Amino acid sequence: MHDSESQDIETATTVLESQPDSKTRRYDRQLRLWAASGQRALENSRVLLLSGSATSASILKNLVLPGIGHFTILDDSLVTPRDAGNNFFLEGDSSIGKPRAEEVVRLLLELNDQVEGKADLRNVKNVVEEDPEYIKSFTLVIAHNLDLELLRKLSNLLWGSETDPALMVVSSAGFMAEFSIQFYEHCVMESHSDAVPSLRMDKPFSSLLEYTDGLDFQSMDPTDHSHLPYVVILVRALQTWKQSHDGSPPKSYAEKQEFKQHVLDMRLKLDEENFEEAEAQAYRCAIATTVPSEISSLFSHPALSAPLTPTSPPFFLLLAALKKFTEQPPHVLPLTSTLPDMRADTKNYIHLQKLYKKQADDEKTAFKGYLKEVLGGEEGVVEDAMVDTFVKNVHQLKILKGKKWGALDKEKTLLAQELSNAPNHASTHLAMSALLHYHAQSPDTDPTLEQLRTVAHSLVGQDVQLPEEFDVVAGEIARTPTAELPNTAAFLGGMVAQEAIKMITKQYVPITGYCVIDLVETSTAIVG
Amino acid sequence: MSSHESTEQNGSASHDWPDRYHHIDQVLDKPGPRTDPGFAPGAEVKTFLRDTCKILVIGAGGLGCEILANLALTGFKDIHVIDMDTIDISNLNRQFLFRPKDVGNPKAIVAADYIMKRVPGVVVTPYYGKIQDKDDDYYLQFNLVICGLDSVEARRWINATLVNLVDPENPESLKPLIDGGTEGFKGQSRVILPTVTSCYECSLDMLNKPTAFPICTIANTPRLPEHCIEWASVLEWPKVHGEKKMDTDDPEHIGWLYSVAAARAKEFKIEGVTWSLTQGVVKNIIPAIASTNAIIAASCCNEAFKIATSSAAYLNNYFMLIGTDGVYSFTFEHERRPECPVCGGESVDISISREWTVERLIEMLVEKQDIQIKKPSLSTPDKQIYLQAPPQLEAATRPNLEKKVSDLVPEGGEITITASSLPFSLSLKIQYR
Repeated sequence: MHDSESQDIETATTVLESQPDSKTRRYDRQLRLWAASGQRALENSRVLLLSGSATSASILKNLVLPGIGHFTILDDSLVTPRDAGNNFFLEGDSSIGKPRAEEVVRLLLELNDQVEGKADLRNVKNVVEEDPEYIKSFTLVIAHNLDLELLRKLSNLLWGSETDPALMVVSSAGFMAEFSIQFYEHCVMESHSDAVPSLRMDKPFSSLLEYTDGLDFQSMDPTDHSHLPYVVILVRALQTWKQSHDGSPPKSYAEKQEFKQHVLDMRLKLDEENFEEAEAQAYRCAIATTVPSEISSLFSHPALSAPLTPTSPPFFLLLAALKKFTEQPPHVLPLTSTLPDMRADTKNYIHLQKLYKKQADDEKTAFKGYLKEVLGGEEGVVEDAMVDTFVKNVHQLKILKGKKWGALDKEKTLLAQELSNAPNHASTHLAMSALLHYHAQSPDTDPTLEQLRTVAHSLVGQDVQLPEEFDVVAGEIARTPTAELPNTAAFLGGMVAQEAIKMITKQYVPITGYCVIDLVETSTAIVG
Repeated sequence: MSSHESTEQNGSASHDWPDRYHHIDQVLDKPGPRTDPGFAPGAEVKTFLRDTCKILVIGAGGLGCEILANLALTGFKDIHVIDMDTIDISNLNRQFLFRPKDVGNPKAIVAADYIMKRVPGVVVTPYYGKIQDKDDDYYLQFNLVICGLDSVEARRWINATLVNLVDPENPESLKPLIDGGTEGFKGQSRVILPTVTSCYECSLDMLNKPTAFPICTIANTPRLPEHCIEWASVLEWPKVHGEKKMDTDDPEHIGWLYSVAAARAKEFKIEGVTWSLTQGVVKNIIPAIASTNAIIAASCCNEAFKIATSSAAYLNNYFMLIGTDGVYSFTFEHERRPECPVCGGESVDISISREWTVERLIEMLVEKQDIQIKKPSLSTPDKQIYLQAPPQLEAATRPNLEKKVSDLVPEGGEITITASSLPFSLSLKIQYR
């Protein structure tokens, strides 16, 4: 597998690659989303599914296809006629009476021979109670429609330490469903956000300034003038602007408009499109390059005030180094080397690109120096590839704070607040919770709408008025309290697998709170 | 009809074991709070779903495989599927009805066989070919159509065909169209009731504009690896290979483009030309994963199920999903466009300069986001302005390209636009400014 980012000019242009191997070709369409690093994370992961239901099988299908390393289905039940009717990973009536986990594992494994799968026919409750270390040995644990008592045990078990696997809790009833992820904290380097890194046009680094200063805009050849990249134009424009404005950049709306005109006034001819592009990008000059608050707020993370050692999580070692880096002038994030495309001739553009690349490399070297300081002089603790990834994505780092499963249902005021903020979606969560609590008391009966209302009141408080939307969604749940519809299972299969992939690869941003799903009106929302 | 015979042979009753539909029957045996009062629970709706309803799936790829499996499990037993493609190794990361041994075989046939093998009693009738091969009578036999396509052109064709099929005298002629689409972690599904709700053509301006690199950049001032690859495929390939068609699935062709692009990149000191990027640019590859396809296909099939059974209200009419940052979705009613050339009927008002030539007008039509016509032919009620084909007429009308539109069409006059890729014509009302 190749990594286009890591190739330098020599290898990229003198040694030609041959056609990629069959594994790379098989995974081509997903490698374009999470690259070789994400794929490696998937291949190293071990996922545990509690139950071999249609929903569990759908989730696993979407993890086996992209190539997770290993999965186990823990399920002691035999295939019932009902199972055989709604699960694609059973062979119709011929699977009836056979161990469900074995049948589902066998048929899932047909999808990808790179994946290892195992059926564990022990009882979930027994394993949770008697073999907790086994459950903790997985990367991720996913539970579908487990009962309340078991979920509580499981959630307690996996809330022991920060290194415990994340727990995804999935529940569904007919057209209604919800799921959530229990984790302490989830650090993301590659969030793939739309945040654009600064080009430092307001704080040009020395080689950029030198280059710009060396250009004589007035007397250059008109063709060359129309090929000046907007970065160069704006660095110069801001310089001249500051000279006539006591060293200040444009601040007010009027000044910003004036600055745009100032850029356009630099044209030699009216049709110079590079100057139009500069005008369109001029707003960037008015935003001072600083450490964005989303990033500086990460520096107050408790992990940074505790002593860091080579065995500390690499993310926090890197974050500590970043903090040191930003404490030095010019108090900015390390430069990201990628220069966007802009109107320019090849020579100007490539030269500019080289300046950015060189500066980014120099700053990365400085960053590595701070990392060494953080580690008390020790080197090579964090892999170079990870340092590269961290610095390249430094403007979009994220730390998500998670919650223990069920926390929302214990906070009556928060729950009531959610109900008034988003009556429709919060009602879906409340009604799903009510169903779970109802079945904890009366396992083998189906609730009426009235009974769901009663349980909901006990959760949110007797004095809280349930919104009228509650009756609509709870009515839907009371219609089908135990139905596992194939389309709902498939929908959840996609959603839960997507979030599992984000958790495992540590790329993109997983949900916090509950994702509630209503497949009558076809909507999803996040609650809590 | 062969499908009728097979329904009798393989029909529901003989393959249904007790409790097979235990889960689904819970929504078919009683209504919910949002079920239409006209819903009649019980045997009749089950019989319609399992014995009568005939559904067409267009596309047996990423969405199609998922759609077929979901429909089969929910109880549709007479399913037809059309796909013109064969299986490629890069399909296997998501098109879960296919195995490495199937590479090179037609998707529609392999998918149909797999479903019938896995889900007893379901009959899937494949057609390995183009949707355009089929006539109105073919499409009239279905109760519902679900599309899982990656081509805008095919979607426009089926949309226009189903809109044209609607005969106000015959309610059966209105075929609900459910359309899904995905790109990476993003996707959408929608319900189109031809002539009633907004149609695919109504929303054409919502599509992202494809990235196009100006030819002068490619030829003179390349800056990105993509510019070098475009140079190799757009300019060098025809120069070196003449009439020989480029096959983007042929590794030798990709290899040639890659080496030519890499050489140009070296000359201009541009970094980043790789095999993968070359393939991505020339094939216009869109990232695709199993999970997004599963979500969107499930949503499409859920709408098909609700429409076929009336067991719950269906989507009105557009569901949009973005899964990159958490889960964000948006459900809304996309409005009809009165001037939609397919379902609107009103002509499009267009205001142009008196100085514009016919050629300039054509240029604008090609670029216009809500029209998107590749090679338009233009005529007025009494004369032909410019025709792309046949060659004799093209030659005869070519001199008009340089004439001013205002010399050919009066103020307020109408121009009819046609294109071979579209099964409809567009009417423009010309105003001069």
